[in-house]
Amino acid sequence: MIKGLLKKDLYNLSSYKTSLIIIVIFCGIAIVGTEAINWGSIIICAIVGMISLSTFSYDEISKSNKYILTLPTSRKAIVQEKFILAIAATILGGILGFTLTIIVANIMNYIRPENIINIDYESLITTTIGGMFGISLIQAIQIPSIFKWGAEKGRIQMFILLFIIILLGAGAGFLIMKSNLSIDMEMLTNFINQFGLILIIAFMVIMYYISYKISYKIYKNKEE
Amino acid sequence: MENNIELQNVSKKYKDFELKNITFNVPQGCVVGLIGENGAGKTTTIKSILNITRSEGTVKIFGKDSKKNENEIKEEIGVVLDDSYLSDYLTPKQINSIMKDVYKTWDENKYLSLLKQFNLPINKLTKEFSSGMKMKLKIVTAISHKPKLLILDEPTSGLDPVVRNEILDIFRKYIEEDETRSILLSTHITTDLEHISDYIVFIEKGKIVFNLPTNELLENYGIIKCSKEDFLKINEKDYIKYKKGKYQYEVLTGDKNIIRSKYNITTIDKPSIEDIMLFYVKGEK
Repeated sequence: MIKGLLKKDLYNLSSYKTSLIIIVIFCGIAIVGTEAINWGSIIICAIVGMISLSTFSYDEISKSNKYILTLPTSRKAIVQEKFILAIAATILGGILGFTLTIIVANIMNYIRPENIINIDYESLITTTIGGMFGISLIQAIQIPSIFKWGAEKGRIQMFILLFIIILLGAGAGFLIMKSNLSIDMEMLTNFINQFGLILIIAFMVIMYYISYKISYKIYKNKEE
Repeated sequence: MENNIELQNVSKKYKDFELKNITFNVPQGCVVGLIGENGAGKTTTIKSILNITRSEGTVKIFGKDSKKNENEIKEEIGVVLDDSYLSDYLTPKQINSIMKDVYKTWDENKYLSLLKQFNLPINKLTKEFSSGMKMKLKIVTAISHKPKLLILDEPTSGLDPVVRNEILDIFRKYIEEDETRSILLSTHITTDLEHISDYIVFIEKGKIVFNLPTNELLENYGIIKCSKEDFLKINEKDYIKYKKGKYQYEVLTGDKNIIRSKYNITTIDKPSIEDIMLFYVKGEK
């Protein structure tokens, strides 16, 4: 059944094909214009990752949730499908962003040999993973919000939540600075280099898991 | 006669509306019409049957508890909802591809041949379909996995008489193909039910007013138009409701023969289901 629901969402999203291609072309031009190639992967990852959430809007416009509940499926499967789609979109967005950035940079190096763009692969990988983490954080907050309040209201609630998180983060940073805590930057860099990737992936898994549990709890009791 | 649906004391409370102790059956081989005004509780009843909304009471489908055996049961049900479908951004071809992964018994050939039969384009987005075409597609989707039971919420509302007739024909054929099949059809267009239903369940303000065979309603019920003097002679037990007009009284009786034999009234009109519904809603007693 999950396969059928995934197909429905992918067919719905196929109407985004043209818009997606145009956005990617503009991203390419932007990358070349600024030469800040690392941003390319983040932007593409963000676009692909966020597009997966628009399936909720399609469901809302067509009021399809009620109909889907008449099919041989469960509320659990409906929630699982949305998470599979979101995670797949984040991974795909990361891969696409990384690959397209390299392709665009190489094409430009071929066209403009006098103005070579140097690709720092390590830095590109780090920013791509950073972008994926950011998108997964937004998805992890937004999916339960949409299940609770619907696609339109959920988006507003999501921005409020995101604002609160940023405010808390900034507040914590400000407090650390004020408290004159001495941070060994070298040790921190070494730690991040050694465990950063594992920690980010672990955080993403935990975020998605908690978000899934909350979403299912909300949707289990929701009246359509 | 076995029942495909059995509802017992199904109740649901909202802030401003309550569905109270709904009890009725949908026997095999029968079409049961669920009638009532907008907001009477028809859709809530259907949502309760399908577990779309949580309600109290017992719902058995094919003799099984509808909550415990939900997926197994839904494999054998076809549903048409007035205001909800898969998506407006899909083509019938894509719907076929989706449904193959939804129902184990999805019959692609049947689906495609029904699309052809109803002149539904296979590669056009459904948002470009007319209301009649959309409804036909919903019905084609609902019957293409050969379900034992159809649950239809307002399948003919907003459609012109020609399309309505075509759709009623689909239901007739569906029920004739297999005597163990049934249809539960909720509508406020009661004329449709006179042609197709075996039983009528009338819901008003969340309660069942009557649950009777359609024949009995159409054959035994009658409307008497009489003067005030004649009306006052009729025993209260012998009529259901009356309406007081400017010049005459209109009285609904559940047994024409009693009226004929007891009161020497010979002119009794045959009521339509709509007339009966209106007497129950607007009439006095």
